[in-house]
Amino acid sequence: MAITLEWSVKIPDRAIEEKYWLNLKKKVIDAGLCSHCSTCALICPVDGIISADREIDFPDWEEKCVDCSACVRVCPRYDYTPLCDIGEYIELTAARSKRFKGQDGAMATEFMASALEMGLIDRALFVGRDEEWRTNIYHIRSVDQLKDTRLTGTKYSFASVLPEIKKAMKTSKLGIGVVGTPCMVSGIRKLQSEFSLFREKIKLVCGLFCTENFYHHQLYEFLKEKGVDFSKLIKTDITKGKFIATMTDSVVSFPVKELNDIIPHGCEVCIDFTAVESDFSVGSVGSNVGYSTVVVRGEVAKDVLDFIRENNYADFGKVIPEVIEKLSNLKKKRKKNIPEEFRSRIQEEVKPEESKESKESREKESEKEKTEKPKEQEGTKEG
Amino acid sequence: MIKIKFPKLKTLDNVKLHLDALVVGAKEAIKPGTITIEYPRERRLLPDSFRGYVLFSPENCISCFQCSFVCPANAIGMKLAANNRYYPTIDYTKCIFCHFCVDSCPGAALRPTKVHDVVYKNMNEMITSTEEMVKPPKIVREDGYTVEYVIDGVKLILRRIKEKDNLIPEFKPHEKVKEYSACVMPESCLACGICVSSCPSEAINLSVKEKEKELKIDKERCTGCGICVKECPVQILSLVRE
Ligand SMILES: Cc1cc2nc3c(=O)[nH]c(=O)nc-3n(C[C@H](O)[C@H](O)[C@H](O)COP(=O)(O)OP(=O)(O)OC[C@H]3O[C@@H](n4cnc5c(N)ncnc54)[C@H](O)[C@@H]3O)c2cc1C
Ligand code: SF4
Ligand code: SF4
Repeated sequence: MAITLEWSVKIPDRAIEEKYWLNLKKKVIDAGLCSHCSTCALICPVDGIISADREIDFPDWEEKCVDCSACVRVCPRYDYTPLCDIGEYIELTAARSKRFKGQDGAMATEFMASALEMGLIDRALFVGRDEEWRTNIYHIRSVDQLKDTRLTGTKYSFASVLPEIKKAMKTSKLGIGVVGTPCMVSGIRKLQSEFSLFREKIKLVCGLFCTENFYHHQLYEFLKEKGVDFSKLIKTDITKGKFIATMTDSVVSFPVKELNDIIPHGCEVCIDFTAVESDFSVGSVGSNVGYSTVVVRGEVAKDVLDFIRENNYADFGKVIPEVIEKLSNLKKKRKKNIPEEFRSRIQEEVKPEESKESKESREKESEKEKTEKPKEQEGTKEG
Repeated sequence: MIKIKFPKLKTLDNVKLHLDALVVGAKEAIKPGTITIEYPRERRLLPDSFRGYVLFSPENCISCFQCSFVCPANAIGMKLAANNRYYPTIDYTKCIFCHFCVDSCPGAALRPTKVHDVVYKNMNEMITSTEEMVKPPKIVREDGYTVEYVIDGVKLILRRIKEKDNLIPEFKPHEKVKEYSACVMPESCLACGICVSSCPSEAINLSVKEKEKELKIDKERCTGCGICVKECPVQILSLVRE
């Protein structure tokens, strides 16, 4: 440990001669690039930046902002390098937890539970919900807590998970596990590259496949008009181009393209479908119904997967990489929305041409329920 | 529940014990005042390190909250004073007279007294404000004698001095290991300057250069109060020993 009485901190250039917060606001939030990942809210030392169910804001910045530049330094969209494709991985598989109920195969939950059991982490941040499906964050400390099905499963609304990392850092001894959308994963990585403090403690980062997320109030209004009774709502899902709200006594479903008008700007400029910077990614597409697609990228996540196998905590199934590729390519079409200065930074994967036979045989394999999904979504998302 | 059994004594022991008691009783009848003292006319001589009522000198307080943090009984509250500083108050319904507060105070602003017999009319009175802590509490003193207990071998002797004891002894703050604040993870510093504004001794300095900010802790000025350590939003400051 370096103990010092004198040190210096590099500060970034300003785009405008104003406080750093205004730089962030102009360049990211007002420019429609903000992903609502909340990394800025996490780092702001005066807790001035508010991440709630509206645009990121700092109402009393004039008085409170200490102009430290931390927000600008950690924002993954300030000096935006859009990422895309499936990225590098150690293992690609499909699995279904035997212990938990989740959105698909509950593997996001299973990984975190196993990491807790292994003693790799002692806190995992999960997104719960209230009666009206507003998101709230829980600090999970034991495997049993995850039996609560309100904590697992997908909530299609922004969740302020990252600011909770600051609190978890104070109570965690072993490490923290975080589950989030690709933008949140990028926020965590930027945070870790700027501030070493967060490198050690954040041990396991799970990225979820994601096409877009929503502001709660907008989705809420929309679903209410569609006749969704939130007191009876038990699951929301986007599958086969349809938004499906399952209630205890009925189901409401409609084409997901109807939601196009309320897709936040920040998602329109995002082309990362699989959270390429995560330790492992979990998604729905690319595996059979009831299974989660799992992309293991880091050694730590690989250890957790081995632990799951050893303890026989999950069933494993087939994964169809083409489907993931298709959806990630579909999301890549959004690059036209990205400002030119950042678009030029995109590095696409160059795939070696596949032989015709292997391609055909794989296509045959993928003629299962879920493979319908991308085709229909393709039609809907472009409309 | 553990029951304590009366020791099994032989008849001879029993007789001896009874005789001893009779002798002590006879002594007290002939020459009274050899065992008990007549409080409040006589006061027992207490050592200067006695842990009684705590006094406070605001001019030495740096508002570091150390006393309120360390108090195991949670008896110390910090109240905002007219000069915009926070000063301690003690709730004597909770105080267990451990004097951790006295020991932890980096400025020796808290000091002990031998006063242990303050009377209150109700519980609210026992919450002692900062102003009340500056002076010793009012107690009615009827004592003219100070009595010292001396043990001479196995004999207990009471020595009486016709003199009032000083209940506010001279306070010699114990020597402290000098501690000062230092940065243990400079590469995680936000350069927010919260430490600078939190420091009551103006020991931390932040200067803005063109491409960087420089932070410097003046070890000589730092009193080791630890406020900056607590305030740093990323907790990268720590108290280190000389
Ligand atoms: C906004 C959003 C959009 C998605 N879009 C797609 C998609 O287009 N295609 C696809 O294949 N998969 C998508 N997913 C992922 C998918 O819905 C499942 O979350 C994923 O397959 C994991 O399933 P599981 O059963 O393993 O997870 P579970 O074991 O059920 O765990 C779900 C995890 O997600 C977390 N979570 C839930 N809501 C949020 C939220 N709003 N923000 C952050 N974390 C949250 C929970 O805390 C929990 O840790 C999306 C997820 C989200 C949150
Ligand atoms: S205090 Fe720092 S992190 Fe917070 S808004 Fe101002 S410049 Fe950004
Ligand atoms: S992208 Fe994230 S870090 Fe940047 S302004 Fe938006 S919420 Fe803050």
